[in-house]
Order: sequence, then structure tokens, then C-alpha cells
Amino acid sequence: MKPTGLLFFPAFDWAISPSHPEREERLLYTRDQIFEEGIMDLPQVREYQPRLAEARDIARVHFCVPSIKDIASEAHLVAAGGSLVMADAFAAGEIKNGFAIIRPPGHHAMTVAHGNRGFCNINNEAIMIEYLRRKYGYRRIAIVDTDVHHGDGTQEIYYHDPDVLFISFHQDGRTLYPGSGFVEEMGAPPAVGTTINIPLAPYTTDEGILYVLDRLILPLLEEFKPELVVNSAGQDNHYSDPLANMRFTATGYAELNRRLAPDLAVLEGGYSVETALPYINLALIMAMAGIDSSNMREPDYDPAAFKEDPGNLARLDRIAALQLENFRRREDERAAAIKKGPPFYSTTRQIYYDTDHIRESQQIKQRLCPNCCSYRVIASAAVHAYGQISRALCFSIPLYCCSACREEARDAYRQAVQEGGGADYIYLQDRAADDYRRFDSRGDTEETIN
Amino acid sequence: MHIGIDVGGTSTDGVLLHRGELVQSVKKPSRQEDLAETILAVLDGLLEGRDAGAVRRLVISTTLVTNLLATQKGARTALILVPGRGLPFDFYRIAPDTYFLKGNIDFRGKVTEPVEEAEIERAVADIRARGIGRIAVAAKFSNRNRTVEQEIARAIKRLYPEATVVLGSETANRLNFPRRAVTAYYSAVTAPEWNGFADRIEEALHRRGLKAPVDILKADGGTMPLVLSRENPVETVFSGPAASAMGAVALSRRKENAVVIDIGGTTSDIALLIDGEPLHASGGALINGRLTHINALALRSLALGGDSAVKGESGRVEITAERFGPAACFGGPVATVSDAFACHRGLKLGEAERAREKIAAAAAAAGLEPGPFAAAVVEQALERLGALIQGMFREWENEPAYKVWEIVHRRRFRLDRLYGIGGAAELIVPLLADRLGVPYLVHRLAPVANALGTAVARPTLAVSLYADTQQKRYLVDREGIEGSIDNPEGFRLEEARKTAAQCLARLAAARGAAQYLNDTRVILAEQFNMIRGFSRVGKIFRVDVQIAPGLIDEFEGVAD
Repeated sequence: MKPTGLLFFPAFDWAISPSHPEREERLLYTRDQIFEEGIMDLPQVREYQPRLAEARDIARVHFCVPSIKDIASEAHLVAAGGSLVMADAFAAGEIKNGFAIIRPPGHHAMTVAHGNRGFCNINNEAIMIEYLRRKYGYRRIAIVDTDVHHGDGTQEIYYHDPDVLFISFHQDGRTLYPGSGFVEEMGAPPAVGTTINIPLAPYTTDEGILYVLDRLILPLLEEFKPELVVNSAGQDNHYSDPLANMRFTATGYAELNRRLAPDLAVLEGGYSVETALPYINLALIMAMAGIDSSNMREPDYDPAAFKEDPGNLARLDRIAALQLENFRRREDERAAAIKKGPPFYSTTRQIYYDTDHIRESQQIKQRLCPNCCSYRVIASAAVHAYGQISRALCFSIPLYCCSACREEARDAYRQAVQEGGGADYIYLQDRAADDYRRFDSRGDTEETIN
Repeated sequence: MHIGIDVGGTSTDGVLLHRGELVQSVKKPSRQEDLAETILAVLDGLLEGRDAGAVRRLVISTTLVTNLLATQKGARTALILVPGRGLPFDFYRIAPDTYFLKGNIDFRGKVTEPVEEAEIERAVADIRARGIGRIAVAAKFSNRNRTVEQEIARAIKRLYPEATVVLGSETANRLNFPRRAVTAYYSAVTAPEWNGFADRIEEALHRRGLKAPVDILKADGGTMPLVLSRENPVETVFSGPAASAMGAVALSRRKENAVVIDIGGTTSDIALLIDGEPLHASGGALINGRLTHINALALRSLALGGDSAVKGESGRVEITAERFGPAACFGGPVATVSDAFACHRGLKLGEAERAREKIAAAAAAAGLEPGPFAAAVVEQALERLGALIQGMFREWENEPAYKVWEIVHRRRFRLDRLYGIGGAAELIVPLLADRLGVPYLVHRLAPVANALGTAVARPTLAVSLYADTQQKRYLVDREGIEGSIDNPEGFRLEEARKTAAQCLARLAAARGAAQYLNDTRVILAEQFNMIRGFSRVGKIFRVDVQIAPGLIDEFEGVAD
């Protein structure tokens, strides 16, 4: 039996600020618990060490404005690199599954990154997934975001991609940051139905989450048949989390992971550093390693403490029925959108960066192509805290783009570079060619990102 | 005069140094059934015609504990565990007589579930009924709170006063409960035999009028006084390889990165020196397949030595793990690795003609000429040794790291030199060094390097301090030292360092190590702010300080 890969990178020398929830202390007690248990000594577990992600790994997912160096610190590169190490170990068949307990987190980071939002700068899961697709040829991937906050960054990155099924359950956006993740957010027309949001009422318990897992998430995975399942593993649904209002327990998290059986799990949020994280992390490791975790629970755990509201279960039934239908209609919806639509689907969006106080507006165009999941053009303008504005024009060509669309996108980039067009920076992200460029119109220079 | 005696598997070596010069060495066969007798015979050989009163220090490196654990002949010992929350209890069935008690301590040392008196009583009654006289006790997170183990110890004293008790928190206090439990268990298992040995040595030395301090070499390459070894005899496990590494340190005295290879009859043991100091295994000593908290050198062994038989078979060249006797050139029955190296290098060694015949015979079986056959054996041996050494470098480079800085500044192992020790070193080491692209040294004293390393190894001592200013207390992982923090607001990393250094000094005094305190090193210093809500409620510190392995001040090296 292959071991479970474990990459523990607590970044003991990194914090957003001394008293921020993302501080050095966050995984201290998890460290104590993991090492006191002797988890790393077990034959069921193999420990891995992180490395630095390369600029090209970041550029494969993000347009960092003004540059990768400004957005991704060394801590971010190590966290992202940690997820890549787990990905390599999994793809090489060294491990049966892997858990990257890393920080800083990433699931609020979107394609265009001007700064930190929701404690995230770069998206560890997306960087890992695009790396796996590029290097090992994976295509169909499912991401289940189990953080209490809507995984809006990951959703945005894969909103247009029908080969990635993004499922997020989270505390209802009307009651919690980032205020999104509603059922009607179903994906861009070329990928409608592969974004599935499950907003949960505050105070939902283990029973409620496992209920929606069994009735919606597992059936979706069954039908989608992904080559890889990734758990974007937040731990803030816990009853003691200071930033949210749910009632999930370590036992519930273990059971969730046992049933979900993710191939790779990447730590996201979770800020009850002393009363939840050590127990959830250990329970999750045990679940992934196939070890009975019934003895791993919080000291104050009481199985009878939280009772699920039957009304909540009825509500979850309705969400499950609705989302299964949305998912099953996806091929028809996509075909209809491409058939009827203009050659480009376009939309606009406002994005707020809570940590860095940036307001960003985006115009997004996606080419509608009957033959492929085609390219996107994002025009972004960000107003920073002290009024300075930065503008970026971004061309993103997906890995499975057809050659006609790819040529068209590259030509459009070339033309934009020649004409300028008011953007401070113009980016090309050609995943098909693994070619990433950044044009600085102030200095009139183009660099290739390696 | 300084004396070092190293007990090996087949022979025991002793050296006597006077004013830094090696003035006497003695070799006797090791009688494994009576090691004290062997040691005393070597000692008498060294002291012949000399005044025992002039001996300044005697250091012994012995395989007693290693053998005891390998043959599992130690005293029957019960193990009482309080595993609390975490893995299923079945994961901790370390000893045949393991008892589990309810109870839980958390990572900050808070007892969240007490142990039940009735459960302790039942376990102790059962142990007593089975006639088991030794009990090891370990609780999860007893390194953060000793009271649970102490409560159990008190109950045992009351219910079964004849039993001897070893506590996990008194043997090892770093994180890792299973290793702590194993360490406490093996400490209890080996103690009676060890104490018998110590009694005999002490008594015999007294009779000889030898009043100098007597130290024992530990697995980490440092020494501890014989009298203190009674508390933690298990720390003397694997002292043999430690002796050879310290021998290389003594012979080189350079601050270099080096490989020390001890090539014996059928095995090669490899240790690394980093800046002239032996590298420790991050996992602790591995005993009978179980990791412990015992500081031990990072060692790799390969079943390949000078006497390993080589054979040819249907076109293939094979180095076997078997030994049928000495090398053919020294009268052995078959061609060996040594013969192949001698033949390949064109060296006339012993009965060179006989060796050539044996090589030719093996080569014929492989369908090769003697020359290419010997070359193939040499290539295979160098390849396997080289791969093992490179693997050790990679492992060192990839040691677990939990800080951004450490990952960004990943270290690279740059090898400066290769040291050869052991019978076949002269033959193999020059070619191995060539392959690794570094200079080498096979010192004229290499044959007694182990005993020399034993003689001049200095005491080592490591202390780990854990402090929690919210709880206003600190704990140190030795001898149950703990204390209160009177001024939690003013207790910063600097104070934590000072406290750790003070504890080290206090312990060093009893270990004859006070003179090395000026070489105290801080191995790890970490601090965490504890934030609850948005304000700081305290700090957690961990500071590890140590007197690292090294050479005694009196030793100034021997001439090349």
C-alpha cells in the first residue's frame, strides 16, 4: 500500500501582520500535535519538503500586476511550491494521496492579481492544477472547496473552463466574506454548469455538510468522472472558528474526507488555531491515510452538542436537486450559447481586495468557439489605497485551445503591444505553448517569464 | 594520561595518550559474554608498568547496550501509556506488556482528562501479579506537563514499592510520544545489566587505584560520566560508529565537510562531518525498527567490506554479502573485494600470486579476463559506496525545514575530504576519493582511530527549554527542571536563551562539562506570539542549546 504524502510547511517566519489571523502561530499547535503523534514516523505517511515555485508556474495561472515579484513573496512561492511537490509525488505514483498543509493560503486569489485579498496573493490549487495538466497531461479535474468562505478566486480562474468542475460549499455569502458563491453563479456560457455553489446556512452541523456531500457532491463527482479530485481544504467550518459561524467538528472533517477521498488536499483557511486546527489537521491526515480517526477529537467534543435543523436539511435537498439539474444540462447550455451567441461573450466585474484595499474593475471577453475552450481577454484597472491606478490588458490562452483561436489570441496580443491601448502592462499567457510574456508599456520592454 | 577503550564486535582496542602522544595501544579479542572482563584486560595491558594514579581520564565505548537490545535479552519490562487523543491505541503496542490508561494532556500541557486511580491500580496489580519488576511510564505531551506521569509513579510506589520506574519525561522530552515511550522502555529494559556492568567496572577500577573520572561514550559522539549513565544507559547504544567518527575528528582536526568511511570485513559504515563535527540523525537512533529520542550520528551501512566474497556467474560480476575468511592474498579461500582492488591497482599485497589465481577463477566463471573482472568489481564497489554517500548528502540537504528562510536558502553539501578507517581502507579509499573528486586521508593511526576517538571525545549535553509566558512557566527536558516566569511581560527571547543557558550550566557542572560551556551553541530559538482576539496574551518559546561533540581541550592532535 502506498503511503499518504504529507507536506507540512507552517511558514513559522511569515505573517501578514503580528496580530493578523494569518500569523506565525497559526500552525504552531498543529505542529505540536503532528510531531507528538509521531505521524511522520508511520509507514502510512511520507513527509515531503517544499521547494520554490518558479515564475512560470505562477504565470501559468496569474497575471501579477505589476509583476510576480511584487505579488508573490518568497513565502508565497514556497507554499505554492509545496503544492507542486505533492503534485509531483502523486503523479509519479509515490503516494496514494497527498495533503499539503501549507500557508499562506490561496483560494481567494483570482486570475488577475493586484494584491492580497482574503489573505491570499496567489492561488495554490490553480497553480498546482495547471502544473499537473501541463506536465502530466491531466485534463478533467474536480475541485471541492471545503473552506467556510466561498472560494471565489478558484471559481473565477475556472469559471470558463468546462473541464474543471468547481464545487464550493460555504457559509452563505449574505452572512460572510467574500459575499459571493450563490447558486446562480454557474460558470461562463462556454462552461456553464461546471461551477457549483452550495451556500450553507450559518450553524450548519456535521450532519448538514455530510448530507449535502452524499446527495449532491458525490453524485456530481460520480457523473463528471474527473481524473483528479482536489480538496481545497479550509478548516474554518469548525464550531470554534473566530471568523465564521458554522458547527463542523474534527470528526465531521475526517468523515468528509473519508467519503470524498481526494487525491490531493491543500490547506486553505481555518483560524481557530488552538481549539480546532490541531485536531482537524490530524483527523484529516488519518482519514487520508486510512487510519481510524475516532480517537482524534477535540477535548470538548460532544457528539450530542449540535443538532441539525430539519428545515436546513430540506433546504439542502432543494439546492441538491437544483444543482444536479444545472449540472446535467451543461452540455446543452454550452452548445446553445455557442450556437446563438456573438463570437465573444463579454461581461464586467468589480473586485474588492479587503486586505490591500484595492478596487478593481474588469472587462472580460471570452471567444466562443465550437471546437475548443477558447481564449479570454481581461482588461483590468485597479485603484489602490492611495489613489494610484494600474491598468493591465491580459490575454489568456488555455492549454486545450484550438490552433485557430490560439493564433488569433497571439495576434491580438501582438497588436495590443504595438498600439499600446492605454494599458500599463500587457500580458500573454499561452498555456498551450507554455509561453508567458509581460510587456511594460512605460519602458516599452517585453519580458518572457521563465 | 588519557585512556580510551573501544569494544568492537570482534576485538577491543585501547590506547593510552601521554601529553598528546600515543604511547601505548592494546588489542584483545572481545568476549561478548563478559565485556567488563575484556575491558579490564585491555586496561591492564595499557597500564602495565605505569602508575594508575596518573590517569587523568578513562573513556569506555562499549557494545553492551547495543547487544542487549539486538538480542532482546534485557529485563522484562511493563510499559504504561497514556496516549490520550490521537492515533488508535493499537499503534502504540510497543512492548509485549503494554498497558493503556485513559487520560489526556494537550499540547500546552493542560490536563483535559485526568487519569483514573482505579485504572492505575488495576494495571499495577496485573504487572505485579505477572512478576514484572520494571515499569516504564509515558504520557502523550508529558514533555509539556509531567504531573500525569508523576501521579502514576506515586501510585506504583505505593502499590508496588519493589518495582523500578522509568518516566518518559525524564528520559526524553522533545515532541514525539512514540519515540519517548520507546526510549523510556529501552532505558528500563537495559538498566539492570548496565548497572551490573557499571558496578563491576567501578569496583575493579577502585581496586587498581584508578581514581580518575570514568566516562562512557554515547551514540552522539560525546561522553557522560559512568555514574550518570545509570539513569539513561540506552544513550550508550551504537557508540561504536560514534567512536570511529570521533576518531576521524581527532585525526583531522580540520573544520571541513568530510565523509568518514570505516571499511571492515563485511560492512562499510559511513558518517558525515559538517565543519568538522559529526552529523546527527534527525530521527534519533533506530533500535529494532523503532525510532527513539536518543541522539545518534547519521550513519549508513552497506554490506560491503574488504572480505566480501566476489564471484562471477554467467557473464555477471557479483559482490556478495558473504565472508568466507580473510582476503585470498592473506590466505582466505575465495577472491574478495580486497583482492580485486589490489589486483586492479597492481599492488603486491600478501600472497599476490594466490590472489591472482582466485580472481582468475572467479573471472573465468563470469567469462571474463582477470583484469576486466577486477575492474568490474572495483567499479561496482565504488558505484555502490558512491551512491550511498551521495544519498546521505541529499538527505542532509533536504532535512525538514519549516521556515521560508530555510527553504529559500537551501544548503548544498560540498565535500572537502574523505577519511578512511578500517582494514580495507588503504585499498579502497584512494579510488573512492578519486571518484568523489576530493583528497583523502588514511592516517597511520587509522587502525586505532576508534579507541583514539573514544579517548579524546569530550562530554556533550543538550538542553531544550519550552516556555509559555501566559502560563508563566518553563520546562527543561532534563532532570525534571522547571520553573516559573515571574515577569511574563519582560520575558523575551533573550531571557529564554539565558534561562536555557543557565540550566545547561547547572547540568554541565555535574557532568564534568563546565569547561566547555564557553562553546555553548544555540541550535534553535523560536518564539511565537499568542494572539487571542486581537491582542497578545503571551508568548511561547523554544530554545535548544548544547555542548556539541568535540575533542577535549587537552588533546592537541597527533602528527600525520
